[in-house]
Amino acid sequence: MKLLFPMKNLIRSLILFALFSACSSEDTVLVSYENPELELNVPFGFPDFNNSVYTNKPTKYGVALGEKLFHDTKLSTDNSISCASCHIQENAFADHNAKGIGIEGRIGLRNTPPVQNMAFMKVFNWDGNIRVLENQPLVPIITHFEMDSSILEVMGKLEEDPEYIELFNKAFNGEGITADGIYKSIAQFEYTLISANSKYDQVIREAGGTFTETEALGYQVFQDKCISCHSSELFTDQSFRNIGFPLNPDHEEAGRARVTGLAEDFMRFRVPSLRNIAHTAPYGSFGQFETLRAVLDYFDNGVLDVENLDPILKENNNRIPLSEAEKDQLIAFMQTLSDSEFIGK
Amino acid sequence: MKTQTIKNMKKYLLLPAIALAFVSCSDDDVPVANDVTLEFNNTFKGQTIVLGDATSAEATTNTSVEDQVHHFSELKYVISNIILVKEDGTEIPYNVNDLDEGAIVIDQSKEETLEYVLNDIPTDDYTQIIFGLGVRSDLNTLDEVSNPEFYAEAGANDTQMHWEWGTGYRFTKIEGFYDTDNKTLSFHSGSTVEGTVDDESSYIPGFDAYREITLDLPSMAKVGEHSPKIVIEADFDALLSGKTNTILLDDKNATPSVHTSVSMSKYVDNIGGDGTNDVTGMFSISKVEN
Ligand code: HEC
Ligand code: HEC
Repeated sequence: MKLLFPMKNLIRSLILFALFSACSSEDTVLVSYENPELELNVPFGFPDFNNSVYTNKPTKYGVALGEKLFHDTKLSTDNSISCASCHIQENAFADHNAKGIGIEGRIGLRNTPPVQNMAFMKVFNWDGNIRVLENQPLVPIITHFEMDSSILEVMGKLEEDPEYIELFNKAFNGEGITADGIYKSIAQFEYTLISANSKYDQVIREAGGTFTETEALGYQVFQDKCISCHSSELFTDQSFRNIGFPLNPDHEEAGRARVTGLAEDFMRFRVPSLRNIAHTAPYGSFGQFETLRAVLDYFDNGVLDVENLDPILKENNNRIPLSEAEKDQLIAFMQTLSDSEFIGK
Repeated sequence: MKTQTIKNMKKYLLLPAIALAFVSCSDDDVPVANDVTLEFNNTFKGQTIVLGDATSAEATTNTSVEDQVHHFSELKYVISNIILVKEDGTEIPYNVNDLDEGAIVIDQSKEETLEYVLNDIPTDDYTQIIFGLGVRSDLNTLDEVSNPEFYAEAGANDTQMHWEWGTGYRFTKIEGFYDTDNKTLSFHSGSTVEGTVDDESSYIPGFDAYREITLDLPSMAKVGEHSPKIVIEADFDALLSGKTNTILLDDKNATPSVHTSVSMSKYVDNIGGDGTNDVTGMFSISKVEN
């Protein structure tokens, strides 16, 4: 009696073994993919990474795949434009159009913002309607006036390219081409787009940079009149504010109120970063200003008197008064925020 | 019918189930009494709406409480999350997590969309129907991979029920004209809310335009014996003259600048109810045919 149990177990083990060995002949075709995580560092004085950077850690092949997708025109329905058509490296991954221009020359609603330091941002787009960067790539892919495609259409095209199949497998452990793989790899690539090596950074880090006298004076004015909104090393506090800029005549535009449905958010926009600002003209949510000078002249002359105007401007007679010399100084200072390594120049 | 059954089963790759499906298909010649047809009748105060452009003579006109004459050139809305309730209160959800099999875009310009057939409803007597106007927020992600058919239907060039920037569906789309000089009226609704308040890193404090409608049936729908038809009236008089709000159209609220945002909730509460005091909105059951 006592012997029977071990016997039974032995037989079961043998059967299990047979099952496993039968499978393992197939298993040997499975490749194990080695895909090291990339090391990203938080630059001096920067805030910590946002949550998604930890749940979608950039890896060697994830970033390589994301970079390839970012530059691939297959993401648009007629294969004419890529993300990089609007997010151009030499413009700090912004462009030089007033409003985004998609396939067939279709003009969008807003100015293209630079894709930089996304790993540290907690809200995306002018109105903050995206909080998780992985949810962003679908928007331009399907938007009529951007790429006007669909995720299945894109996946269909990528599946015809063995190089992509290989890269997806390497990046996501043999899972093949998936929609999530597209979203995650693009975000991983964007997480690596960190701009933190401008002249300003070298001065702040005491890494050999020094401001000219004008730049130093500009930094003073900036701290007096701009830093309450363009704060931190990102040069934005990521809040939404209406600062009385000229209004976008497009009916679709309501600023932050388009998302929240609150009257108080009407035409409020996320405070933009000012890093690489010299390379991202024109300015404003629909490119209403050609030059930095024009922005400063507007602040000085007085902004629109709107009900929900930011208190900082309201308390100052709807303006930020600036002398001509201060404008020169501010512009000189803002130019020190250019990171030539980042924009590839 | 036959291919439909097999296709659904395939998803689960259950061989025994496929075998069963074949067996059950063999009695296909017996009339199916387990269908329930929902018919949508879009009206102004009971009169079925005829669409028309600005100067159309045929278009059905309506006059609001505020005395504004208006008519529509386009009228679409999404119905999903359909639940039939038995006499004893048991709820029978109809493919509520699958937009391909359980949701539809009602389009007044397309006759075939005004009837929706629910298949394989268990034999019983039903006394209530619940459905959603719009798409529940957990499904409202424009996920083409999971719901390719509904995605395509909603996104068709002549339908335009994708809300790209919000990565969700449009729940309603109404285009039309108001006042004697035919000024443009344009109303689109959709949800912008995402995530939950507790998770600050993903929460978008947006608007939830989804509304659940609960309607008692005036007489029982007897499924099994017959294939009942439930006629649902959607009275669009409620858009401007609803139980919750009375809306006076002006150049600020009649076009997208505002209803994409600030005043959208007023229209949505009018047609879909406010979810607390009003769970019927513009909807009512005209009749049940057994
Ligand atoms: C037609 C031009 C165009 C194309 C193509 C385009 N974008 Fe954009 N991008 C924009 C505009 C305009 C915005 C601002 C949108 C808004 O605020 O509503 C934006 C915003 C962004 C943002 C948010 C930046 C920030 O500061 O919050 C990211 C990230 C981004 N795009 C990535 C991409 C990716 C990835 C692709 C390709 C899948 C892409 N874009 C394709 C024009 C474009
Ligand atoms: C009250 C907050 C606040 C203050 C103070 C402020 N800004 Fe801004 N700034 C914003 C917001 C918000 C925007 C975007 C507004 C829009 O597009 O409608 C913006 C936009 C800009 C832009 C255009 C950026 C782009 O990418 O299009 C520049 C340049 C700029 N500000 C520079 C400055 C300078 C220089 C100062 C100080 C003289 C300053 N700002 C003060 C909030 C502020």
